[in-house]
Amino acid sequence: MAGTAAGGNRRNPIAPYLLVAPGILWLIAFYVIPTLTLARTSVGPEGAAWYDGYQRAFTDYGVHLGRSFGYAFAATVVCVLLGYPLAYVIAFRSGRYKNFLLGLVILPFFTTFLVRTFAWKTILNDGGIVVQTLATLHLLPEEGRLLNTVWAVIGGLSYNFLPFTILPIYVSLEKIDRRLTEAANDLYCNAGQAFRKVVLPLSMPGVLAGSMLTFIPATGDFINAELLGSPNQKMLGSVIQGQFLQVRDYPLAAALSFVLMVIITIMVLAYARALGTEDLA
Amino acid sequence: MTKRDTYSEQELTAMVHRALSRRQFLGRTALAAGGLTLGSAFLNACQGKDAGQAAAAAKTVRISNWPLYIDQKTVADFEAATGITTVYTEDVNDNNEFFAKIDEPLKRGQSIDRDIIVLTDWMAGRLIKLGYTQPIPADKFPNKANLVDGLTNVGFDPGRLHSVPWMSGMAGIGYNPKVTGRELTSVADLFDPKFKGKITMLTEMRDTLGLVMMGEGKDPAACTVEDARLACAKIKQYRENGHIRGFTGNDYAEDLAAGNIAVAVAWSGDIQGLAADNPDLRWIAPTEGAMLYSDNMLIPKTSDRPELAAAFMDYCYTPAHSAQIIAAAPYLSPVKGTAEELAKIAPTLASSPLVNVPADVTARLKVFKWLDDAEDQEFNRLFQDAIGA
Repeated sequence: MAGTAAGGNRRNPIAPYLLVAPGILWLIAFYVIPTLTLARTSVGPEGAAWYDGYQRAFTDYGVHLGRSFGYAFAATVVCVLLGYPLAYVIAFRSGRYKNFLLGLVILPFFTTFLVRTFAWKTILNDGGIVVQTLATLHLLPEEGRLLNTVWAVIGGLSYNFLPFTILPIYVSLEKIDRRLTEAANDLYCNAGQAFRKVVLPLSMPGVLAGSMLTFIPATGDFINAELLGSPNQKMLGSVIQGQFLQVRDYPLAAALSFVLMVIITIMVLAYARALGTEDLA
Repeated sequence: MTKRDTYSEQELTAMVHRALSRRQFLGRTALAAGGLTLGSAFLNACQGKDAGQAAAAAKTVRISNWPLYIDQKTVADFEAATGITTVYTEDVNDNNEFFAKIDEPLKRGQSIDRDIIVLTDWMAGRLIKLGYTQPIPADKFPNKANLVDGLTNVGFDPGRLHSVPWMSGMAGIGYNPKVTGRELTSVADLFDPKFKGKITMLTEMRDTLGLVMMGEGKDPAACTVEDARLACAKIKQYRENGHIRGFTGNDYAEDLAAGNIAVAVAWSGDIQGLAADNPDLRWIAPTEGAMLYSDNMLIPKTSDRPELAAAFMDYCYTPAHSAQIIAAAPYLSPVKGTAEELAKIAPTLASSPLVNVPADVTARLKVFKWLDDAEDQEFNRLFQDAIGA
């Protein structure tokens, strides 16, 4: 490998830099500069204490912060529990229906996020069939409804992000060499053991990628909490939106955005380390 | 546009409502608005290049208004009558959000590509105070004389030099008798434990806060920070214990019709607009009082064609034209003589107490007091905390 790279360098040492230049410029213009601007905004106007926004992020909005991570975590667990078996079936058991089933997973993307979430409002209507069925079975939460409860919010998050969990898990399962499970069987593993010792560890990068693609956007999401929740389910995304557009407290909104960003980064790094997949790439 | 004199606008609206669900109706309206925009752009393109283009631009008036606030014919009629191309956009959904969009460019003196914007009293007042508006050319607006007496002089714009009302509306209580099981009369009904989890209020601070204050026996036209604190404490308590299900913009209407909520702090025109589909829905001005507000047309200071804006205002201030708009957007017209014209084209609507407000209700209507900057900030802080924003 090193030899090939060196050969490339001999021919034109600047070429690699030229190739990444558009990407780097794009990142500088649309990521680095806005982030720096946001950082400048978050420390507030001159004269005020710079940490004011950050302090209030924890004192006034600690609840929302906790809620955001709690709901996103719950949704991620639901997505992995639902998504893994589905990805497994598509990868190993679907035969000639594989592409068709994958198409079904992607199908919801043909309608916008917002419209699909609105559809859930109709499905979960107080007088709707879902609520009535659950009421008959005495399974309704204590509020006596589903819409505008924590269950609807977590359900909405899980529903909206499920494809993002399924697809990476599917890809990692698909890559597994089938002969490895056959070998495990030859070595006296039963199906369960073969899955636990061979398939599951090899699919962990997919689980990691899938759960991050779910957890990170779900934490910052505000549509689900806004449409399916009540004010007591507000997540940090709603607060940031409200502070930017309604209250127009820009330093606080920017500080909240930063707090969210930093906490997510730390959690993601810790998670990747715990799962031992730093070499994920 | 085809002539459709055989139907009244009211009947047409009812037909459209019957044929489409509200959501589709909204979608089509948006499409129609988009069509208008495209049509105008196309017209611009057709009028030749270079000098022709500049001339076309000079003959185009650009308007931002709230959704479902006009009928389908007025814009086309205005274009036909005056030869002024009109770009009518329904992009105002919230006073604060719209302000957040236009604040920076107007502060820097840049164009916002709008010649008329429509904002509620208190926000209109803020824009005028900030110097973001310009006077309406009086010589191009003779029909201003038709403005109803009660609105000719307002605190935020003495003599109405910078603003004229597009429409007025009332905020009171909307309810679905099928869900409540009884008729409502009072602000106290909002806090009836029987309706726990079936109540929504508006995110528009002055409407919700004003109504709750009146329930507490306070006058929103002359309230103090202390009154606001008490009312907000009450709202917060009922939000936290789950009594209040949410705080909304126009979107409470669907939940009310679907029966998800029983009672809402609601705008009169919304309920009247839903009546075609849901004849059961009611709107009342509670015995304690209801809030009155106006949405006002303003000309941004950076608009280079104020006389075209004035021409549109003048057109809408003809009673017959105002009646045509009211027939599709059943709020309160600020134009004298509209009631008589409305009776000709939509007799049923003209007799509705929500459009032709009875004297005893008028007597109970209150306008929220003008808040200075410091008060506004304090009221907002309390209210945002109360609604959990």
